[in-house]
Amino acid sequence: MTGGDFPNPSSTSSEKLEKQFEEFRHHLQESGNLRERIRAVATEIDSVTRLIYASLLLVHQSRPVAEVIEKAKSQVGVLKELYRGLSDIIRECPGQYYRYHGDWKSETQTVVSLLAFMHWLETGTLILHNEVEEKLGLTPTEFGLDVDDYLIGICFMSNELPRYVVNQVTAGDYDCPRKVLKFLTDLHAAFRMLNLRNDFLRKKFDGMKYDLRKVEEVFYDVKIRGLAANGDSAGEKQVQGES
Amino acid sequence: MLFHASKLSLIVMAPKPQRIRHLVGATWQSAMKKARTMSTETETESSMKDAFSKYADYLNNLNDKRERVVKASRDITMNSKKVIFQVHRMSKQNKEEVLDKAVKYLAAVTDQYLSRLVKELQGTDFWKLRRAYSPGVQEYVEAATLCNFCKTGTLLTLDEINATLLPLSDPSVEPLQINILDYILGLADLTGELMRLAIGRISEGELDFAEKICSFVREIYRNLTLIAPEMDDSSDMKQKMETMLQSVMKIENACFSVHVRGSEYIPLLGSADTSYPLLGMPDIE
Repeated sequence: MTGGDFPNPSSTSSEKLEKQFEEFRHHLQESGNLRERIRAVATEIDSVTRLIYASLLLVHQSRPVAEVIEKAKSQVGVLKELYRGLSDIIRECPGQYYRYHGDWKSETQTVVSLLAFMHWLETGTLILHNEVEEKLGLTPTEFGLDVDDYLIGICFMSNELPRYVVNQVTAGDYDCPRKVLKFLTDLHAAFRMLNLRNDFLRKKFDGMKYDLRKVEEVFYDVKIRGLAANGDSAGEKQVQGES
Repeated sequence: MLFHASKLSLIVMAPKPQRIRHLVGATWQSAMKKARTMSTETETESSMKDAFSKYADYLNNLNDKRERVVKASRDITMNSKKVIFQVHRMSKQNKEEVLDKAVKYLAAVTDQYLSRLVKELQGTDFWKLRRAYSPGVQEYVEAATLCNFCKTGTLLTLDEINATLLPLSDPSVEPLQINILDYILGLADLTGELMRLAIGRISEGELDFAEKICSFVREIYRNLTLIAPEMDDSSDMKQKMETMLQSVMKIENACFSVHVRGSEYIPLLGSADTSYPLLGMPDIE
């Protein structure tokens, strides 16, 4: 009677248990292999982004933008190829994009920031989410760009701008601060439209205001010394008072 | 403070560039090799606004959904805990009755709370929002496997649990299926409950039952040692494995004490006084 409400766990039930765990192990090993393949591609993406970044850093040494961009652009094709590889791997496990997302997201955020910086140097505008997808050959239905990754990448790009402004001014481009300030102001305003959670993106966005402030300071320094090409000094006095 | 200052200047500065624009237009254009005409600047500004309002919608929807999933998960946890407490109310006399009630509670959790996850976790959201629902699902696995073990003495498999979830959704949508990881994590927690159960059984003199629990828990622990390092988030699992070993050893020690001092317990078997035999037992907690 004691504890004997059910028959002794028969050998079949313990076999069933073993079988289930055997299947689990098999499944987990497979997903582990998949993860390793993903990591391998992500590592390659990482080394390509380093190359691009190193080329882009030349803008701080006042090399001509067109030349700098061209060198960096030559690597974008390689990135595209790598992302195709990644999307091929993910196709093997439909619907599990976000199971493995953590393995490539930080690399992707860097990719976004570099593409955004290149795009901005070229056009003076912000690259949009779908434009990044286009550049990387991603299709939203299969292997899209996560919106968070895009936005975080944009924040990373913003971090690059204060240094750019400082070096451009040193190199004699006195209109650069005004242009960057306008861009960053708009970007910051756009980001404020988002209801962010207390996550990494929020933290990065909070950091953007320091970039903005730094650029404002450079703009002020240039302006107050009359270096900026500007005829409308009367209207600027108020701003200078605020800074 | 900093933020205030820059916010202030933002407000003041916002209209200014437009003012300068047509005045310094010529210089700026020459500065920019790839000339972007001035009128397109406002155009791109509004395209940026448009794009960001799309991102805002996306984020709002996602956050709302995540919030709903977290709430559902919390309800699942709370009510699964009730099932587990119900199981612990069992004693030698009322086993059937208590377990039937527990099974009924469990069915209610499935129908009322787990069902709320079905439509939220379609497609890629299943993995995207895993962190939001995982605690609830783990607790549910724990409750379901505990009930099943007490009734049948066997392990409720993942396939069996998932089969019971199929009726929650109509065939047109993807059914909710618990993933391996949450199932395994739930099982890891199950051993803690089984330890409590075993101690309780021993104190009521149901030694056979306690030994059955003991060998069952050992078996789970043994099988999980092979799997733990392969888990997606193996650090979490590693900790659970340690706790699990503690539970296994507590049961073993309890069985050992009864075994060694068995003769001292026999007169108490079947007696209504359950406080005595606990003396000398390892703590339940």
